Amino acid sequence: MKDIIRVKSLLSTDIETLLNQQIKKEAHSSAIYLSMASWCNRNGFDYSSDYFFKQAEEERAHQLKIYKYVLDMGGNSISPDINNIKLEYNSFREVFEDALDQEISVTQSLKNIAARCHKEQDYVTLEFLNWFFKEQREEEYKARRALELFEVIGEEGTGRWQIDKHVGQIVYNSEA
Amino acid sequence: MQETLTLPSINFTEVFSTKNGAIYQSDSENCWYIDFAGKLARFDYRNLLKLKKAVYQIDIEDLLLNSEKSADLEIIFICACDHCYVLSLLQIIKMKELLKGTFAMLELNHIIYDRLHRLAF
Repeated sequence: MKDIIRVKSLLSTDIETLLNQQIKKEAHSSAIYLSMASWCNRNGFDYSSDYFFKQAEEERAHQLKIYKYVLDMGGNSISPDINNIKLEYNSFREVFEDALDQEISVTQSLKNIAARCHKEQDYVTLEFLNWFFKEQREEEYKARRALELFEVIGEEGTGRWQIDKHVGQIVYNSEA
Repeated sequence: MQETLTLPSINFTEVFSTKNGAIYQSDSENCWYIDFAGKLARFDYRNLLKLKKAVYQIDIEDLLLNSEKSADLEIIFICACDHCYVLSLLQIIKMKELLKGTFAMLELNHIIYDRLHRLAF
């Protein structure tokens, strides 16, 4: 008897489901960053707003990358519906705390997919995920560094204005 | 999975059967035939997965517990597929059992293929 399912798709049902969940997670991240961009813009933090616009686009690119991978491997990508996006933040700092939380949870869920890949010996998907792990180094670094600015500059006086000005300049260029 | 039935033009291999129905695979056509609820229906790869999803999504417990007077019938309609099923609650349970067994056997077949035929030498 032929193994028709394997002929049609490289991905197992479980991995496909996990990748679709990740697609949704990236889409959700993108929407959250857009919401943060809006909040920052409304409250006068224009540099941070630009920074979050850029982040939103990056997350969207991540989403599409997985989306296309699932299709290319013969699976079914599901366009996610996104809701429950936080619109208001209590403080400038809270925006960045949420951003770091978001990145940590993305890293965690990528690790979860990789663990499943190891279990199934799906080294193809595992290799695909490597790009994302490298990306997460940068994403977490940037989010953590932004929060660090609150410590080193301080929020008093023109602190928040200074922080806002420096957020856009955070770069991660370690090639290691 | 062992016995092969030969009909005039189509080769079927039984994937899984219960008292209530059976699913056969046709290697030459790359599809499955489902013998259930009094008819033999042909499903290709996409449609079989859609059927699985549709049946698995039915909340059997909810249907059992609700006390509404409406009939416990479910219409399983699959987009871009020629067949649809109108099943009673009992038939849904039987259909689910059949599909679960089938996918377990297909998974087993996949493992056997991997271990026996797809070895890298």
